[in-house]
Amino acid sequence: MTLLLENISKRYPRAGGYKVALERVSLELERGQITGIFGPSGSGKTTLLRIAAGMQAPDSGRILYDGERLDEMSASERMRFRRRAIACIWAAQPWQERLSAIDHVALPLLVDRRDRRSAERRAREALLVCEAEQCACMELHELSDGERQRVAIARALVTEPRLLLADGPASSLSLVEQEGIMVLLSSLAREAKVAVLITDSDAEALLRADPILYLLDGKLVNPEPIGERGKLYSFPSARSRRAAVDA
Amino acid sequence: MSAKHALLGLLLNRSAYPYELADRLQARLGPAWAINSGQLYQTISRLAQEGLIEQVDGRSEPRDDRHVFAITDSGRAEFERWFEDETKETRLSRRPLLVKITLAGPDRLRDALKQIDVYELDCARRLTELSQTQEAIPVGGPQVRADHVLLRLSLSADIFQLEGELRWARHAHEMISWLLQREAIWPSAPERADAQSEKARDRQDAREELFGRMAARHLLPVDGQQVPVDEPHEPAKRSPRPGSGDTAS
Repeated sequence: MTLLLENISKRYPRAGGYKVALERVSLELERGQITGIFGPSGSGKTTLLRIAAGMQAPDSGRILYDGERLDEMSASERMRFRRRAIACIWAAQPWQERLSAIDHVALPLLVDRRDRRSAERRAREALLVCEAEQCACMELHELSDGERQRVAIARALVTEPRLLLADGPASSLSLVEQEGIMVLLSSLAREAKVAVLITDSDAEALLRADPILYLLDGKLVNPEPIGERGKLYSFPSARSRRAAVDA
Repeated sequence: MSAKHALLGLLLNRSAYPYELADRLQARLGPAWAINSGQLYQTISRLAQEGLIEQVDGRSEPRDDRHVFAITDSGRAEFERWFEDETKETRLSRRPLLVKITLAGPDRLRDALKQIDVYELDCARRLTELSQTQEAIPVGGPQVRADHVLLRLSLSADIFQLEGELRWARHAHEMISWLLQREAIWPSAPERADAQSEKARDRQDAREELFGRMAARHLLPVDGQQVPVDEPHEPAKRSPRPGSGDTAS
């Protein structure tokens, strides 16, 4: 076990009441495994990622990392912990477009007061692993969508995290690029023993994940992992799932 | 499946001339069921020989196309037996185009790409035709006609299949275009290792190094662990900017 989320609930205040973002969600992320969560926009995927990353506190529930309570840590302890163990890739992340890819990747090491030469060497290595070494000296605004995503993964890898959380890492990419990103993430999980959690609104983008879970209106509708890849095809459509929840 | 049981089904309620059967087959089940006269008369005479249909007009014309045929009791029994059988077999198609692409090799891959484009266009054209045919079949109105609804259903099976083919063709175009830009290893290459480029080897080495290091870190406690560096670093005198230390970019 790496990360365990237990009965996580989160509500956002709205005019005249609350919007339920997550309702009693329990999830276990294992080392060497890619867990995929799919669900329509607004189903609570990003909130779940932010809570798993320790960036947002749940209203109730427990977060345990190898048995250690993340939700009981102070903000500074949690931030230190996050820097040591967790990396995130967000779908819409503000980038300094004039930075070169290598500077962008090295940044987490530089802000951690690491030696510049060593940080650059690590950044170059991460770019090479992500097959984006040719982008090293290019500015971020010059990169294609696929290259940007590879650079984002390189930046996540440079701190050598134990847990990688990615919000739609393969969204808006061509099928070939999508496949390339998923192959990279699955070898990262398998060979580096990293626990990977990815979310997407498109179940097909998660085909290499196992287990694959379905989140709808803040609930994990199918708490049993779908497991075998083929079962994804027999998974009912969002509409029939919604009917099941309403019933 | 063969047309045998479809023809028996069409004769269940009404006897018919063979050419009527051919027309009805296509009208009820869609263009995929177009049958040429050779196949039609071959099937008719086989059904008659097996005693599943019989000639009912009493005429002594030598040609089958001049006779009216009706289903026999054993024909009804055969249709019922076939209908009761569960339909659960799904067949995967053997696509000639896929064989060409697979066996094209690096030299003919661009030609294969052209063939994919032609196939894609053909799928799109047939899809347009079928969709137009389907849309022309009225299904609403005060009187619902079951045969119209069922023909629409039959056409939608072809449409969904063609949509799948079109999607595959576009995917194939994308994959082959991508492959053309890469230094790939081909099965015909004498030595796999020889064909592997230096760049690919560098990537592989870097991956083994980084992932190996990351896997080893799991043995250490998180607390107090440093972000990895090659050399021990001098602790900086000034503290980092607030909020800047988030690796979660």
